[in-house]
Amino acid sequence: MLEFLLTSHPLDCPICDKGGECPLQNLTMAYGPGKSRFPVESKFHNEKRVPLGDLIMLDRERCIQCSRCVRLQDEIADDHVLGFQARGRGLEIVSLSDPPFDSKFSGNTIDICPVGALTSRDFRLSARVWEVRDYPSVCAHCSVGCNILIGERDHDIKRIVPRENESVNEIFLCDKGRFVHHFATAPERLTTPLIRRGWKLEVGSWNEALNLVASKFAETRTQHGASALGGLGGDRASNEDLYLFQKLFRQVIGSNNLEHRVGWSATNVGADLVRLYGAGVGTNLGALDKNVTVLVLGADPEEEQPVIRLRLTKSVRWYGANLIVANGRVTKLAKHAKQSLVYKYGAEAYFLLGVIRAIVDEGLENRDFIAARVANFEEFAKSLEPNTVERCAELCHVKPEKIRDAARQIAQSPNLLILSGREAMFAQQNDPAVASGIAALLLITGHVGRANNGLIALYPHNNSMGALDFGLLSEGGLSVREMASGKVRALYAMACDPAAAGEFTKPAFLVVQDLFLTETAKLADVVLPAQSFAEREGTFTNTERRVQLFRAALKPIGESKPDWWIIAEIAKRLGAEWKYGRSSEIMEEIAATAPRYAGMTYAALAENVKMPRPAYGQGNPSDQPTEIAMGELENVSSGKAWRSVAESEPNAKFELVWNEPGQQSPEDSRQYLAVARSLYDRGTLMSQTQIVRPRVPKPWVEINSQDAEQLGIENGARVRVSFDSRVIELTARVDGHVPPDAVLIPSNLDGTAALPLGARVKVEKV
Amino acid sequence: MEHLILRDLDIPNLQDISVYEQHGGYDALRKAVKEMTPDQVTDVVKASGLRGRGGAGFPAGVKWSFLPKGVFPRYLVANADESEPGTFKDRQIMERNPHQFVEGIAIASYAIQCHNAFIYIRGEFPYAAQCLEKALADAEQRGYVGKNVLGSDYSLTITVHRGAGAYICGEETALLESLEGKLGQPRVKPPFPASVGLYNKPTVINNVETLCNVPVIIERGAEWYAKIGTPKSTGPKVFCLSGHVNRPGNYEAPFGSISFRDLIYDFGGGIRGGKKLKAILPAGASGPMLSPLANPAVMDVKLDFEALAPFGSLLGSASVIVLDEDTCVVWAAKKMVRFFEHESCGKCTPCREGTYWMSRVLERIDAGIGTLGDVDLVAGVATQMQGRTLCPLGDFSTSPVLGSVKIFREEYERHIKERGCWARK
Ligand SMILES: Cc1cc2nc3c(=O)[nH]c(=O)nc-3n(C[C@H](O)[C@H](O)[C@H](O)COP(=O)(O)O)c2cc1C
Ligand code: SF4
Ligand code: SF4
Ligand code: SF4
Repeated sequence: MLEFLLTSHPLDCPICDKGGECPLQNLTMAYGPGKSRFPVESKFHNEKRVPLGDLIMLDRERCIQCSRCVRLQDEIADDHVLGFQARGRGLEIVSLSDPPFDSKFSGNTIDICPVGALTSRDFRLSARVWEVRDYPSVCAHCSVGCNILIGERDHDIKRIVPRENESVNEIFLCDKGRFVHHFATAPERLTTPLIRRGWKLEVGSWNEALNLVASKFAETRTQHGASALGGLGGDRASNEDLYLFQKLFRQVIGSNNLEHRVGWSATNVGADLVRLYGAGVGTNLGALDKNVTVLVLGADPEEEQPVIRLRLTKSVRWYGANLIVANGRVTKLAKHAKQSLVYKYGAEAYFLLGVIRAIVDEGLENRDFIAARVANFEEFAKSLEPNTVERCAELCHVKPEKIRDAARQIAQSPNLLILSGREAMFAQQNDPAVASGIAALLLITGHVGRANNGLIALYPHNNSMGALDFGLLSEGGLSVREMASGKVRALYAMACDPAAAGEFTKPAFLVVQDLFLTETAKLADVVLPAQSFAEREGTFTNTERRVQLFRAALKPIGESKPDWWIIAEIAKRLGAEWKYGRSSEIMEEIAATAPRYAGMTYAALAENVKMPRPAYGQGNPSDQPTEIAMGELENVSSGKAWRSVAESEPNAKFELVWNEPGQQSPEDSRQYLAVARSLYDRGTLMSQTQIVRPRVPKPWVEINSQDAEQLGIENGARVRVSFDSRVIELTARVDGHVPPDAVLIPSNLDGTAALPLGARVKVEKV
Repeated sequence: MEHLILRDLDIPNLQDISVYEQHGGYDALRKAVKEMTPDQVTDVVKASGLRGRGGAGFPAGVKWSFLPKGVFPRYLVANADESEPGTFKDRQIMERNPHQFVEGIAIASYAIQCHNAFIYIRGEFPYAAQCLEKALADAEQRGYVGKNVLGSDYSLTITVHRGAGAYICGEETALLESLEGKLGQPRVKPPFPASVGLYNKPTVINNVETLCNVPVIIERGAEWYAKIGTPKSTGPKVFCLSGHVNRPGNYEAPFGSISFRDLIYDFGGGIRGGKKLKAILPAGASGPMLSPLANPAVMDVKLDFEALAPFGSLLGSASVIVLDEDTCVVWAAKKMVRFFEHESCGKCTPCREGTYWMSRVLERIDAGIGTLGDVDLVAGVATQMQGRTLCPLGDFSTSPVLGSVKIFREEYERHIKERGCWARK
């Protein structure tokens, strides 16, 4: 077989990206004879540089027609964008989509191609794989927390490849995680502290900058009280950073003005529900079988948590998981659902209530569980009285039979997971009945406290969960909006950009700690250069509450420092006796003091984290290196998830909360604005990676076909959308993803920042 | 003897529906639909011993009875892709006796309770496709197909689908892929089409000639039919005779009633120009060649499905190609391997790469620039391919090489030693 494969395979190994980690090469080395019986002159020739989309280059001569790439796209990614054409030795891979290779998972085909036929257009011909050192890390984009290996050479990131973790990403990554890394080494990175002198920000020394910050903080506290200081910490920072950030404010300064919900994170709510009913430890989203019902509520994982979409699809297709998707619009995941329900935006609570009522009507509640662990079921059931399934159905625009059907699927399934997304969280923010409805659904069916049961809140960023865990929330303090509108006199903004996310008034003293000179940093009095995740180590907590360790791969850029170090230096200058020498010591303190994180030291988290060679860079530990080989994968999982109350306290009793759903707002002839996110955006991180730029969509608005017809708008037409005092021009998409009376706009494309979800908008043809 | 399949030879204008009706046409269908249950029809066909004429010789009735009970819809596909070199029997049937074929499809469809049958016809047969379309329109008008066949509550739609010119689409699973609009590549079996076929539904695939036997069996009974031919290969068979004979063409004869000698010298009127016979390709390009020079007994064995096994070959679809003494076997083998190289779908490695490799070596030998090791090399490659391919095409492609090397090895060596082809000098 090898000999057959080699007859047509070019002798490219010396210039092939796959060389060094190529299964064909390895097998040939192991079993092949030294000499070929097939003369070189007779070799089959074909095109060697076929761009298969923006990210992948195909070498047709190297392709051995194994169809792995086609099958990965069809069977795992479920994006049917690749295929074969022609036949015999001329059989060749082609892209069937427009734009070509239109999939968010295209990069995975590079890994699984057993030869160098599919190569990354980013990494291509830039290094030999054996010169690249791999450092285990965690993707810093979305909240899935995919495990990665950062491939470093000459202090530069050459490529990112997946690191197997059966519980998180298996052997996959999305294209954003794989390709969007150039920001870490971008020339725009801040390299020194900057201090405002007059109108200008000028280079300063660390000592000078830190002294200035500390003295200004102290001065503000003495003159205006501790509550005149506030901190905004972004949910991209690590647990160590966020922990020290809040400790600085709460213990050293004495202020409770702490928040993280800036920009996209504005709807990060539901932490209490997760704390109580978070999905049981051992839940594996990629291996849910027919005994698990998954209700995905108000979420769009394809754009927001891509690898979770991929794994849910896999669970449905391979293992028969019973997926129910409910949202105010149709998302890509809905295509894979056994049941796809489209409710009316704003009536989420009635949808949940309808399902609860149907369960109670049919007597499907879990009596044993209720008797053992629910305090007030009878009372709760009584408050349901006026809300019949029919009434709820009418208000949420889902047919009563469908609600009843979903109710049966949910109540009768041995296991239930609820995944709530950004749109569901927005609803929770506006209407407490949504949160109490989710909790009630889990409690009356007894679906908590075990693996494959409970709630997963799909947050936006790599460490949104950490920010919630460490209480960067305005409990008793000022809100983001208040802090951003000048209600504090001194503001410390770490890893976030409030000025770009909405209206911003500069307070008397503003410190910004970031990788780049952001909009907020441009206004700051002091700018402190932080390190990216690639230059330091730390932990992130993913959206499934899994705490994961990442290691440093690069030397620090310029004089940049890890966030935790900067915070600690400020604290020391304010009189605190902090002695953290490295980030692992902070995690040891967390592991000893925060009950959820008990025992999660670096040593514990490093278990199964494969370290290929002794690591490089600042503050690296000396864990024993282990071998890593691409293509030879074992089942490994690393990281540790913290347990919810339902799980860790098996005797705890819970109370059902009754909230009357918010009254429907009066009918409005204007359209309801639903806000989506696009995986590929215009952000600072994305813009540094040239090859993904064409993937960023042009700003668009999705309109229902009936509405479009009434307004005389065709697919692709230019339209004007006006709300509040803003008017934006967009391209219309009319392809069946939104119900009548709603429009959908992604809020992270050109000119669509800071859209008010739920606003009423007017749409007209240009 | 009267023709049962090539009835057009006895009856002029048989393609005309009224002529066909006058000669008992569609009586069998009437009998099946009106007097028999579907299972009875299947049982009669089973009892008749009818075996597939597409090449593999699988019993047709048995195939029909494999459909899983209670799974609907089911499909019937008539394989009219006839692309084997030297095969042209189905074409004659479709052009000149199309109604017998249509009737056969209708009866078979009734037997398996399928309401949508497809004819997958080779794209290079536009005229045959037109004939079929006309026959179908006529049959529909007279109520033999369409809604409520012959006033019963059984309905059947028959669709003609033209292929795009690929030999591999004659392989039943590749045919199904192609019919579904995909790239024509064989599927992995099992599951067999009988359980997971067209659009993943139970499907029966039969050759044109196979289906043409069905009306005869229903009309005259299984017992009568089974008496024709041999006990294991029942019924009449159409032999396609071509190559260096005086009268090439389709000849119908019962299984086990004629030998190659009868076929070539009687029916075919002997070798062109009175030359000597060198080799016979019994199954087009797909079966190993035979030669009286190697074993004279081969000329007189009575032909049925199993008759050629002792000689290391097979009858396949009985497309007999005759090569005379002036033919160069190296050249012939090269031509045939090139055919398979061109037609290999490329799905599996041994076939995709092996046909490519064998072609290059044979080209070398034929051009007189081979080495003595090349003969063993090409035979070695062929042996390495055998039994390691996804569909039989890969195995077929080794037959021209292994068959000819076995019998005419010295001719290969002569090419190499004399640096070229003796026949073309
Ligand atoms: C490469 C290949 C080509 C084939 N071509 C044909 C063909 O052209 N016509 C045909 O009837 N069967 C062809 N067959 C056989 C079919 O796969 C299948 O066995 C046949 O249609 C079954 O019908 P039967 O049982 O009536 O013979 C081919 C098989 C292979 C492997
Ligand atoms: S995975 Fe690679 S070798 Fe296999 S078919 Fe795709 S491109 Fe060709
Ligand atoms: S899914 Fe999220 S975590 Fe995973 S690679 Fe993509 S952006 Fe990174
Ligand atoms: S044997 Fe040849 S024709 Fe058959 S599946 Fe394999 S490559 Fe295709």
